[in-house]
Amino acid sequence: MRAHLTARPADLTVRAARKPAVAVDVAGLRKSYGEVQAVRGVSFTVEHGEIFALLGPNGAGKTTTLEILEGFRARDAGQVSVLGADPGDRANGRALREQIGLVLQDIAVEPYLTVRETIARNAGYYPEPRDVDEVIALVDLAGQQRQKVRNLSGGQKRRLDLALGMIGNPSLLFLDEPTTGFDPNARHGAWEIVRNLRDAGTTILLTTHYMDEAQELADRVAVITGGQIVAEGTPSTIGGRDTARTRIRFALPDGCAVAELPPGAVPGDGLVTVQTQEPTKTLHQLTDWALRRGTVLTRLTVDRPSLEDVYLRLTDHGAPASTMDRSTR
Amino acid sequence: MSIATHRVRRHDLALLWHQIRYEQLSFWRNPQSAFFTFVFPVVMITIFGALFGRVKAGSYFYGLSALQYYVPTIAAVSVLGACYSQLAIVLSMRRQNGILKRVRGTPLPAWAYFVGLLAHCVMVSVTDVALIVGVGAAFGVPLPTHWTAIAVALVLGAASFCALGVAVASLIRNSEAAPPVVQLILFPLVFISGTYLPIHSAMLNRISGALPVRPFNEALLGPFAQHTGFDWHNLGVLLAWGAAGAFVAVRRFRWNPRPE
Repeated sequence: MRAHLTARPADLTVRAARKPAVAVDVAGLRKSYGEVQAVRGVSFTVEHGEIFALLGPNGAGKTTTLEILEGFRARDAGQVSVLGADPGDRANGRALREQIGLVLQDIAVEPYLTVRETIARNAGYYPEPRDVDEVIALVDLAGQQRQKVRNLSGGQKRRLDLALGMIGNPSLLFLDEPTTGFDPNARHGAWEIVRNLRDAGTTILLTTHYMDEAQELADRVAVITGGQIVAEGTPSTIGGRDTARTRIRFALPDGCAVAELPPGAVPGDGLVTVQTQEPTKTLHQLTDWALRRGTVLTRLTVDRPSLEDVYLRLTDHGAPASTMDRSTR
Repeated sequence: MSIATHRVRRHDLALLWHQIRYEQLSFWRNPQSAFFTFVFPVVMITIFGALFGRVKAGSYFYGLSALQYYVPTIAAVSVLGACYSQLAIVLSMRRQNGILKRVRGTPLPAWAYFVGLLAHCVMVSVTDVALIVGVGAAFGVPLPTHWTAIAVALVLGAASFCALGVAVASLIRNSEAAPPVVQLILFPLVFISGTYLPIHSAMLNRISGALPVRPFNEALLGPFAQHTGFDWHNLGVLLAWGAAGAFVAVRRFRWNPRPE
């Protein structure tokens, strides 16, 4: 309540200032809750116009990081710049909030207003809002616009939330686990909306614990676990995915002793695995070996670590990924 | 607190009106608030009118007729409901639901949010009081003459009980506890303040006179029924309570459903 009496810089401080080099710049961010270190030295940058995903398990520090950037929480240490302003400084609050949109993790909307009224109310808070009808159409709520919010389904409420996040025509949109609880169709719909916003120039910082969401949406991904970023890159290169060895697997042929396998082949749980940097050559050698023996390589697969493999290895969950990791040493 | 450096944009007054309109909309759409907060006091004065409409002036009501006494006290109760109870319950529920956090995430300044709420509560109070006075008049209660004193008492009372409502919302942690806590404080207070039955115990009156409800009753009773003007002493007590409420509210109010 104190905030309304403190000085606010002129309207244009943030808006008219020279566009900062990056949309979000975080360096050495730290935050503890009592004994628990939720965020332990997180650094990353988000470029203008990209979708950046913070990918991590529950409790990794994603939401805490986001809430510090959104100005909801105070940080213990580190530098934070959002559109060139410090979100921890209340004096920037209003000017900064006019340029950012938020979709928080929990759904929270006034139950007795209609969809349209809710969006129109928030539109009135911004100097240059988007058109209410346009936003209603974008989130596909035109059919429900005269319904009271309390009568909406969970997915519809979430889309209303998304509409409230974009109604102010933000240049930066924060999405905290935007599609949790959506059915597959609804998720694809939400992804389409987010991609369209990005294509229209909005910078988007989202958190998610869904690999496919990061893969589908993000231009860049940072994997966060235990309050630290353990890898950062594009979805196709993160964690060395592009340079990782190809994995060739096939069933151990009947009557073939382990000792008879070609060098480099490691048997385990019914399948033989070969890791290689030169898949073409190795595959040729393997098929040659099989043809000369007159055996068939059943259940033959050639693959590279998926984003999920990388994620599980990085966040230290799940045995298969770590087994694979060990076998490559 | 550098008020001088705070620049009000031209846009801000429009913003305030925008906010008041939507507070009104949320209020009237919610059948519970519309009924218990707004209709209930009007129903009560109507019942009292039917029951006590013919009770002539007597010493039990300090020389007033029963309805002359009840019009100002029920008017005071309607202000308590529209300001204190409404804000304490609505704000703690909005905080728990995360709605307040959302508001904090928009550019709407905190002052606009609170001034909007306050104005909304005052508007509901004033409408309620006007209806109660109207029902009283229908049962033959003469209209008051000192409208300025009534207006001052009403606005000061509404503001003070709004501040106390925000203070209670700031101290309640769990929104489910809000309605019982609000009633637990209000019910005995209203009772010992002579709202429903005149209290003739000097001791009790001295105690309740230092608490917020009786001074508000008295500040309204004077100009409403006794043709007296400003009751400075009781207005002063009311103001002190309002200031105390505002102090707690400013110090302790939280937007976030979970403490840091």
